Amino acid sequence: MPGLFREYGKMVYLPLANILQHKLRSALSVFGIAIGICMLVTLSGLSRGSFNEVADRWESVDADLIVYPRGLGDGAITSSGAILSDRYAGMIRAEHAKIVQRVVPVFLYPVRLGGQDQLASGVDPADFDALTAGGRLAEGRLFDPHGKFAAWLENELSKDSGKIFDPSQEQLAKPGRSGLELVIDSRLARAGKYRLNDTVTVAGHKWKIVGIVPTGAMSRVFLPRRAAQFLFDDGNIARSTLLFVKLRDGVAPSDAAADIKATIRQEVVPLEHYRQMLMSKIGVMFTYVDIVNAIALVIAFLFIMTTLYMTVLQRTREIAILRSCGASNEFILRQVLQESAILAALGAAGGVGMSFAATWAIETFKPLLTVTITWEWIAIALGAAATGSILSGLYPAWRATRVDMAEALSLE
Amino acid sequence: MTGDDYILQADRLHKSFGRRAARVHVLRGLDLSVRRGEFLAVMGPSGCGKSTLLHVIGLMTPCDAGRIVMNGSPVAPSENARNAIRRTQIGFIFQRFNLLGVLSAAHNVEVSLKVRGLRADGRARELFEAMGISHVMHRRPGQMSIGEQQRVAVVRALAHRPAIVLADEPTGNLDSDNADALLDLFRKINLRENQTIVMITHSAEAAGRADRVVHMKDGRIID
Ligand SMILES: Nc1ncnc2c1ncn2[C@@H]1O[C@H](COP(=O)(O)OP(=O)(O)O)[C@@H](O)[C@H]1O
Ligand SMILES: [Mg+2]
Repeated sequence: MPGLFREYGKMVYLPLANILQHKLRSALSVFGIAIGICMLVTLSGLSRGSFNEVADRWESVDADLIVYPRGLGDGAITSSGAILSDRYAGMIRAEHAKIVQRVVPVFLYPVRLGGQDQLASGVDPADFDALTAGGRLAEGRLFDPHGKFAAWLENELSKDSGKIFDPSQEQLAKPGRSGLELVIDSRLARAGKYRLNDTVTVAGHKWKIVGIVPTGAMSRVFLPRRAAQFLFDDGNIARSTLLFVKLRDGVAPSDAAADIKATIRQEVVPLEHYRQMLMSKIGVMFTYVDIVNAIALVIAFLFIMTTLYMTVLQRTREIAILRSCGASNEFILRQVLQESAILAALGAAGGVGMSFAATWAIETFKPLLTVTITWEWIAIALGAAATGSILSGLYPAWRATRVDMAEALSLE
Repeated sequence: MTGDDYILQADRLHKSFGRRAARVHVLRGLDLSVRRGEFLAVMGPSGCGKSTLLHVIGLMTPCDAGRIVMNGSPVAPSENARNAIRRTQIGFIFQRFNLLGVLSAAHNVEVSLKVRGLRADGRARELFEAMGISHVMHRRPGQMSIGEQQRVAVVRALAHRPAIVLADEPTGNLDSDNADALLDLFRKINLRENQTIVMITHSAEAAGRADRVVHMKDGRIID
């Protein structure tokens, strides 16, 4: 439809005219929604991104089953420390040689490195490849590559059994016995600005970074399992946290899990259940994040509602003029709802843009965090914005239809 | 004289505001008939109910009792019915112009047409020219003189070819030159287009320009 005065160009569009009339107020409304949308997209992207990053790393392990101590339930998935006797590894190797190709004991221990808690994996040098996609290092070498340190430690411990062996830090770090060494992944190296041969203090001991693996390995920190057991299990070297079991080709993981469980009487689960177990363990976190997001959005829309309501109150005369021209209730409703929709649309677009910026900022300043923005969540955010704009526009719009035009127009 | 000669017939209109002790009985059985093509002035002291009368016959406010026949058909009291007639048959001009401040003059007229489901045609442009205000078409009310603003309001009231134009003290905010010019325009439109105009005023001079003057007192018309 051409405008009344063609040379004027622009079509008359009241909602936009009103938005432009109150630039600051409109900008604040848009900003409020943008923040809500940005929180929704970024925080859900952060929680889900970090979750998936962990699950992906565990799924990269070259194994089919995980053996946990029984009785821990889904909690097993986040346990650490010395909780499972190493003799089960031997039992599985001995009794299930037909179906089992390899058993990898892992000692998990929480450490702090790069300004963040990390679940370090204590693993034997010979098993390192199973946790790191073949054991290829980006830089440096594997800790204690020939098992010298482990052998020395076992020898020391066997010398006089019964007596607690308490090597001092100096002894542990003695040259020629490799000392305490660890391997980190390249993401942690970047985040903590660690370089090869740096010495870091982890769990109260000094360790030398001797190797860096590419990102994507099961852990960001790898320790020699014997050293980890000795240091973190009171000089004991008989227990780990879990076992990874690699099956022979063609063996069904669920059948094998049942068989092994029957002999060792511990928890045996297929590795592919890990993601799901992790979800049931920490999935409530997503609920919290979603609740916080929902509250932020509701607040943003309450703000819009207040703004629109104020606008309607301030514009009773304008609304009365439209009514005096015979504007129907639908026309008046439409004006207010369209104004709300424009604010919401701008806010949503801004919010999505801001969430990409926020993601960039998070990954730049907190490189260990993973934010994954998905189209699904963008769609959810846009849906929320659309719903919110209608809901927050309705009451002010209804109020607008109630304006008493005789009164509003005859005020002197 | 048959009913067809009247554009508006109002019989025994009653309207009051407030309740109980605070009740103000403003229209008290008022009768008013306006002939087709007539330029009628309504005079009366301040507070006697002239604006209320205009709101009632302009179908902005329902009356408490009485009957209004517009262009030959009785007006149903429902909001929708009044709204529909207001949309097509009536044009308002107010003392304080009541233009939309966020829109240009042209858009003020266009939005009124849009609300009425009409498109702008050559008439709006002609009216701007006839009112001598083509030059303010793209200005907002705040960028115009008050005389220009009131003439934009006149364009808006006429653009949709209403059966009747209702003006509530249209010269009340104008200086005498602008008031004169406006009354000339009313006269011109009335003669040239046979436009029916009901103008409320308490200026005898303004009333003198009309075909007929009626006076209001105690909620009734006294001729
Ligand atoms: N909405 C209203 N509520 C209460 N009283 C009103 C309202 N509108 C008008 N009145 C009263 O009705 C009387 C007539 O008002 P009005 O029609 O504006 O008079 P006029 O236009 O002749 O000056 C006045 O006493 C006024 O206070
Ligand atoms: Mg008045």
